Amino acid sequence: MLDNEATLEIQHLIRDFKPADGDLLGALHAVQHHYGYVPKIAMKVVARQLRLSEAKVYGAATFYSEFRLTPPPATLIGWCSGPTCRMKGGGNVRKVLEAELGVGMGENTGDNKLGLHMAQCNGTCEYAAQVWVDGKVVGPLSALDTVKLVRDLKAKA
Amino acid sequence: MPTYEELRAAAAAVWSAVEKPQRPLFVVSMNTSSIAAGAQATFDALRKLADSGSGFDVMQTGDAGLAWAEPVVEVRRPGGQHVLYGHVTAGKAEAFAQAAASGIAKEHAIGVIAGEATDGATRVSVPMLADIDWAKPQVRWLMYNCGVIDPDNIDHYIARGGYSHYMAASRMDRDALINVVKGSTLRGHSGSFFSTGMKWSFLKDAKAEPKYLVCNADEGDPGAWVNRVVMESDPHMLLEGMLIGAYATGATHGWIYIRDEYPLAIERVNHALQACRDRGIFGDNALGTGVHFDAEVIRGAGAYVCGDETGLISSVNDERGMPRIKPPFPAQSGVLGKPTNVNNVETYASVTTLLRVTPDTFSTVGTEMNRGTKMFTVSGACEKSGCIEVPFGTTVADVLTLSGGIANGRAFKALQQGGPLSGLLPASIAADLLLEPEPFRPLGAGMGGGGLIFVDETSCVINLNAMFTWFLEDESCGRCTTCRGGNQRMLEILERVSRGEAHPDDPERIKSLAASMQYSNCFHGTLSPVIINNTMTHFRAEYDAHALEHRCPAQVCDGLIRYRITKQSPAVAEAAAICPTRAIVQNGGSWAIDDAACIRCNACREAAPNDIVVEDKFRDIVPLRVIERADVARAGG
Repeated sequence: MLDNEATLEIQHLIRDFKPADGDLLGALHAVQHHYGYVPKIAMKVVARQLRLSEAKVYGAATFYSEFRLTPPPATLIGWCSGPTCRMKGGGNVRKVLEAELGVGMGENTGDNKLGLHMAQCNGTCEYAAQVWVDGKVVGPLSALDTVKLVRDLKAKA
Repeated sequence: MPTYEELRAAAAAVWSAVEKPQRPLFVVSMNTSSIAAGAQATFDALRKLADSGSGFDVMQTGDAGLAWAEPVVEVRRPGGQHVLYGHVTAGKAEAFAQAAASGIAKEHAIGVIAGEATDGATRVSVPMLADIDWAKPQVRWLMYNCGVIDPDNIDHYIARGGYSHYMAASRMDRDALINVVKGSTLRGHSGSFFSTGMKWSFLKDAKAEPKYLVCNADEGDPGAWVNRVVMESDPHMLLEGMLIGAYATGATHGWIYIRDEYPLAIERVNHALQACRDRGIFGDNALGTGVHFDAEVIRGAGAYVCGDETGLISSVNDERGMPRIKPPFPAQSGVLGKPTNVNNVETYASVTTLLRVTPDTFSTVGTEMNRGTKMFTVSGACEKSGCIEVPFGTTVADVLTLSGGIANGRAFKALQQGGPLSGLLPASIAADLLLEPEPFRPLGAGMGGGGLIFVDETSCVINLNAMFTWFLEDESCGRCTTCRGGNQRMLEILERVSRGEAHPDDPERIKSLAASMQYSNCFHGTLSPVIINNTMTHFRAEYDAHALEHRCPAQVCDGLIRYRITKQSPAVAEAAAICPTRAIVQNGGSWAIDDAACIRCNACREAAPNDIVVEDKFRDIVPLRVIERADVARAGG
């Protein structure tokens, strides 16, 4: 897509957001909801719409951990970093995820099919230790379950 | 727009049809916890049966707090028998529906809510819900509607008295109303415990206009989800509290800042806001009372420091969510530079509750300092996790008992309450503590906003500290060197202790870092060392085991354990195939673990539990000599 085409599309996405109205997070969410991430060009468009400097928009987009600046993988595995998950073997789950996928937290596999994301506790601790596969809670998981889950996801990817 | 009386009359008819249904009504808990347990599939299966003429109806409700029994379904039968059931998965839905529509589905029954425990003419041994251990100590005031009404149906809320408390408040003098809130002892339920009435009076007395209300629904403490339960189950209780606050303070607009991890809460609060606007409750001239107030949801994006009220205000103001220095206080200069009051979800809901139960009744529950109730979420090593509501002053031991005790017959080791800024207390002290803020303070800890995480003997406190310190370092906004750098250094120390590479004077360094972190601007910095301070006071023996004996007694810390094959068996061959790093290798016909490749994930031991062991006493114990300061400096420590 050409830059000016993308600009027009983003302008349309965020047309209802106003300056000095508490709208920056809303605008960035709207962009991420559409593209799966916040592309570089969006910083400029959001800044213009909300009458902020691009640096401020970029600063916010990188301050909050849920905004991505790169395209998401086809399947995103969120690893819950919460305390109940950790007490129930979540640390082992993480080690298995990273070793089996060959990537670190926050990274995607080379083919962009699978990726890891650091997730924060959402209070579904009954199913600890857990991961969220594309937002869906999967748990409780042991290390052994995790090996099988990842191999299964890799085979399907 | 209709008057309140007209709304109430219309709502009563809607509610009566689901409270006293003509044919069995299946009320399915639909909340983040139940959906994780498959409640959507259960709901769909029951709906399909209902649609194909099975003679019953289906309705959704929010969260009654029984995460341990999800998917939870309440069945209301004509004649007034209401029974609560658990573990109703989609696969069992049909058999369950058949049994529960005509009698009691015994294998799923948790308790009888109302009516007799009879199955036709036969008595069934199902307890009354109020008599089960989980429910007995609970007082459901804030959770009055949780698991009872459809959170997306404003009529259900109104029929049960909703918005009449606002109507009553709007007839009071504003100062008198604020005095009622002040006199109730109500303080912020987020963990700050600052008087809500005082905060409201600051905003009322502020000179500038317009005035704003903010609801902090950025419940970031890991292991706490009380605000999620309120928003997913009874969003109007929060909105009515905000509307009462708007009348009392003169605020005209509100923002409800909900964390990104709670998409269902965002959906339900937005739905509730729209229902309020449609019925003339929000917007111009609320219910004819002359008050103008509207509110909107802001979706957070993952930043723990936005839980600090000034961080949250920065975030609303299109900034990075960095807390700022006070003064000016929010009541002087908050959102868009205007006077602002910030309370959390449970606090606004508490105001509604205070007026609903009446201040006189409110004052009969709780303790001298803290009247009323508090919601908590229990999780961790206890048998049952979920959300509860108990009077202030209930003991931790009583909460552990209702949670079914520590699971698997293990020992209660510690309590981690109120998120990573509130502390870690040993079982011997924690068990007798009363749940209110005061008893925690002399212990150098806090009660926090509602998370109660029970820790058993299989957890290592050094590992827990490293985890929490990592979180606090990662979530530090970075403004204050004492917080940013302090947490970085603290994490380095904890990581080397967990590897068995502690410096002998690390305890002194921890103390000195913790002291310097007190100079941080916000609570994130000043309270970051609370857990490590608690640990050094109460778990020194476990610290010393790591630091001096190079041993992790709970066998958790990676650097202090290793795996060993004790018996060659087919299970070990299976474990070798499972190992993510291929660390189990054949060595002259027998299997052995390549320690350098092993990542200590435990998958092999799960595959071959009888043939692979974890060892924690394998490193030579080298008595540490006292290192001179000069040596430490040379070593770059």
